[in-house]
Amino acid sequence: MVRLSDLPSYEQEHLLAKNSATRGPAPWVAPAKPLAELRIALITTAGLHFRDNPAFDFADASFRPIAGDEDADNLIMTHSSVNFDRSGFAEDVNLVFPIDRFRELAAANQIGSLASVHYSFMGAGLLPEAYKQTAVQVAGLLKQDQVDAVFLTPV
Amino acid sequence: MCALSHYLEREGIQTTGISLVRENAVHMRPPRSLWVSFPLGRPLGTPNDAEFQHGVIAAALELLARPSGPVLADYPYDAPAADASSAPACPVSFPKAVDDDAGWRGRLADEFALLKPWHELSLRRRRGRTLVGASSDDVLANLQRMGELLDADQLPLDDLKWFKLATEDAKAFAIEALTAQPGEHDHRAVQRTLWRETQLGAALAEFHQRFQQDPKWRLFARIVAPREAVAAAGDASNNTEANP
Repeated sequence: MVRLSDLPSYEQEHLLAKNSATRGPAPWVAPAKPLAELRIALITTAGLHFRDNPAFDFADASFRPIAGDEDADNLIMTHSSVNFDRSGFAEDVNLVFPIDRFRELAAANQIGSLASVHYSFMGAGLLPEAYKQTAVQVAGLLKQDQVDAVFLTPV
Repeated sequence: MCALSHYLEREGIQTTGISLVRENAVHMRPPRSLWVSFPLGRPLGTPNDAEFQHGVIAAALELLARPSGPVLADYPYDAPAADASSAPACPVSFPKAVDDDAGWRGRLADEFALLKPWHELSLRRRRGRTLVGASSDDVLANLQRMGELLDADQLPLDDLKWFKLATEDAKAFAIEALTAQPGEHDHRAVQRTLWRETQLGAALAEFHQRFQQDPKWRLFARIVAPREAVAAAGDASNNTEANP
């Protein structure tokens, strides 16, 4: 189990600083469709991208697209934190970016469909407000792709 | 992750997801979040276990049907732990004595040669998949350049982007080599080996210390080596001083 006390003091401070950030009232989108009709996109904050995309910088709120028909085994990781295990991701991309699991769910009609494009951010070194602009940008792209819901994975 | 879910939901898109640090989700209150007890770096719990991963995903997707929120649910299952007694042993025996004459450049190059056959095995077992390739330079060239910097008592202050990607590739190369054999690896043992036994781990701890000495670069030092590595390097140094 990961507790704040398990993490280096500077990681604790960083996470607590995030906690104190204010971002306005908590938003809530009520369910409008059953799961079997939802079009879903994956978003990871693991700093994943393909080799021909720019690497993530030390603190970086930008995002990289991951086309749904690309081979996710070609993804690499340029995340700034050194305080998490990378051997699991080396073993199985789905441990961090569960694209094969979602393809299986779509094939079994347990979800409506998968987005054409998924997105990767790098969650380190910045306070929540730093992601506002790019998150809104991605929301626009997701809407163009008729996406109803997002499944988010940290690292 | 909590910030993204907040902003996406505000734009009208439903979000659900995984939280690895429960305190964070409690305070940040993302619309829907499934807290899991898994180690950092393993949000779906365990590699190559589709059934377990599907269980985690189903629990997070179920939250999308909840009528009101925010919702923070606790996933009731821990990830299956690797059996340390049956986990593949480290395939490489790293030299215990440091060859001071070789310098950092020589030692890092020697270690690369030691790991290379195992990395080749990793490529075969993983059908060519590798996380190496963030840097435009190859791993050996990067290791040699890192060694030259340490030998010259310099820091790569004019090329930090290169340094970040070089270290990313070097770590990926070493981790893949150390886990080249088939079987369920104990990730804690892999981390211990990487940071406590390899010259790469020692070199990164040394870079960390040197960055740390300048207040301007203290933040950067944090992304070079984890606390564990720096503590281990300190222990080794103290032992050397106590037992010359």
